[in-house]
Amino acid sequence: MELLILNGIVNGLIVGGIYALVGVSLTLLYGVLRVVNFAHGEFVIAGSFFAYVLFTSLNVPPLLALPVAAISFFAAGWGLYYVLIPRLSRSDDPELMSFLMFYGVSITAAALMLLLFEADSRSIDYSFTPISIQVGPIYVSTARLVALAITAVISAGLALFLFRTLPGKALRAAIMNPEAIQIVGVDIVRLSAFAFALATALAGVTGVLVALVFPAFNAFSGTEYTIIAFIVVVLGGLGNPVGALVAGVLFGLAEQMATVFLPQALAQIVGFAILVGTIFLRPSGLFGTSTKK
Amino acid sequence: MMPVSSRPQDSADRIYFTLVALIGGALMIYFALVPVFGLNVAFHFYLMLWITMASAFNVSSGFSGYLPFGYVAFYGIGAFTTAILVKKAAFPVFLALPFSGVAGLVLALLFAPTLRLSGIYFGIVSLALAGICRLVITNMPEEITGGSFGLQLGSRAHPVQSFYVMMAVMVVALATILWLSRSRLGKALRATRDDADAAEMMGINVPRVRLYGWMIAAFFPAVCGGVEAWYTNVVDTETAFNTLITAKTVIYAVAGGLGTVTGPIIGAVAMVWLDELIWRQFPLLNLLILGVATVALVLFLPRGIVGSILRRKPQWRRYVP
Repeated sequence: MELLILNGIVNGLIVGGIYALVGVSLTLLYGVLRVVNFAHGEFVIAGSFFAYVLFTSLNVPPLLALPVAAISFFAAGWGLYYVLIPRLSRSDDPELMSFLMFYGVSITAAALMLLLFEADSRSIDYSFTPISIQVGPIYVSTARLVALAITAVISAGLALFLFRTLPGKALRAAIMNPEAIQIVGVDIVRLSAFAFALATALAGVTGVLVALVFPAFNAFSGTEYTIIAFIVVVLGGLGNPVGALVAGVLFGLAEQMATVFLPQALAQIVGFAILVGTIFLRPSGLFGTSTKK
Repeated sequence: MMPVSSRPQDSADRIYFTLVALIGGALMIYFALVPVFGLNVAFHFYLMLWITMASAFNVSSGFSGYLPFGYVAFYGIGAFTTAILVKKAAFPVFLALPFSGVAGLVLALLFAPTLRLSGIYFGIVSLALAGICRLVITNMPEEITGGSFGLQLGSRAHPVQSFYVMMAVMVVALATILWLSRSRLGKALRATRDDADAAEMMGINVPRVRLYGWMIAAFFPAVCGGVEAWYTNVVDTETAFNTLITAKTVIYAVAGGLGTVTGPIIGAVAMVWLDELIWRQFPLLNLLILGVATVALVLFLPRGIVGSILRRKPQWRRYVP
């Protein structure tokens, strides 16, 4: 039993790291742009397929695929921003319409991946040597440990960026007060484009890690990650990047522990229940102080 | 007696009701004759189903301002209610269908606390609740819900009968929404959507009005699910809780224009027809085009077909149902 619990904790940290990244990118996007990216999970899975293609056709190992994915997805996000968002802000109810539009983007992205890769589940047949490493009394696959290390580095880097650099501070300021930051002379359109590109890049990188950590993915896995991202974002408080990081790890732990103690069917429901419960009991998130609507 | 001063309103009403009678009559005659003239029953069955779904969705999002992204939950519950009652309790189909509607209403009552939420919170919670519904039904004992194989209704299929039942459901749904759009309740719903505090100040019981709107929006998809289960003769969680059902409902309603009675009808007719064309020409691209169409709709026609026309010609607002 102790072994199972220890296993749950280690896996919870690993999976939680991924959830934290998925959540933090979505929350940044919401915070700065006030749009809800329903297609976020599809962006993540696109990252997985990106690593898959690089590995199977060009023999690029996943670790090398990480920076390539980051750059490509950043560029793609930048472009996508200018195609989608400026028109959107002219509608009567941008927030609700954004939900609808990204719903369409999510269907489009899933359909594209379905056309390109068919409905079969894919996995990257790549392994580190040694395949697994002993951590205390349990064995953990090296790929998962590497993924954990990478999520930790990315999270730390992101936190440094947000709190120590000028563009990062501008992002946080835009989340807090998008009107005031324009008075100080920040070009909100460029900043928003940057936030969108950054979130997309993070999603792509997370996708590469997903391919390392989870056994398989297919064109329709995106919805799962979208819902996980929502759970993490709501738990951490909408638009709160640090909250999302912590909430992601907590949720990963909760989910993995649930699979240890509960039958599988119930464990799946736990996530949904946490989401619904949080919105009703603490709508501002675990760490929120003021209650918004 | 109407006071004399409301004469312009009277003539506007006359045009309004003439339009209602013309459009409604044309729709009913056309659909009633489909099986008689041997037109494509399946296509028209689904056309009526989507008109009903999009119109009922309109009550929730157009009239009340909620965007339930887990709308499929009502449809799925309805489908399973009919299937279980017919298969396991040996109900006749006609007796089982009303219970589907009741199941939808019960689910709406269960979800009623979510009406406190607004905007994206409501959408996200609705999505999660639909996920819970699907998981609960998937994990129910196989003797009840048939597990992953689903339930087969056996030899009860009767395409023409179910076609006319679907038509009856559509007519009742459209009549309800037509009534709603002119009733006190409908006006109260719109007022609540635009400004809940102001509506409350005017003496509207906001929670109750929202609940009534929500229940109307939940009842019809549940019945649709039941009728479709009867029509196709098989129900399983994969298809009955497929998110594409929500997606299509939302897209069709938005394409026509939320908030008007005719919007979702025109949207559903246009999009189902387009969908059929695409499906025939490029079956693989169907999903892709659906997605691209949604994005394009939001970007270029955010008010839908009818909404855009009414924005150009605001004076028509009085005549168009």
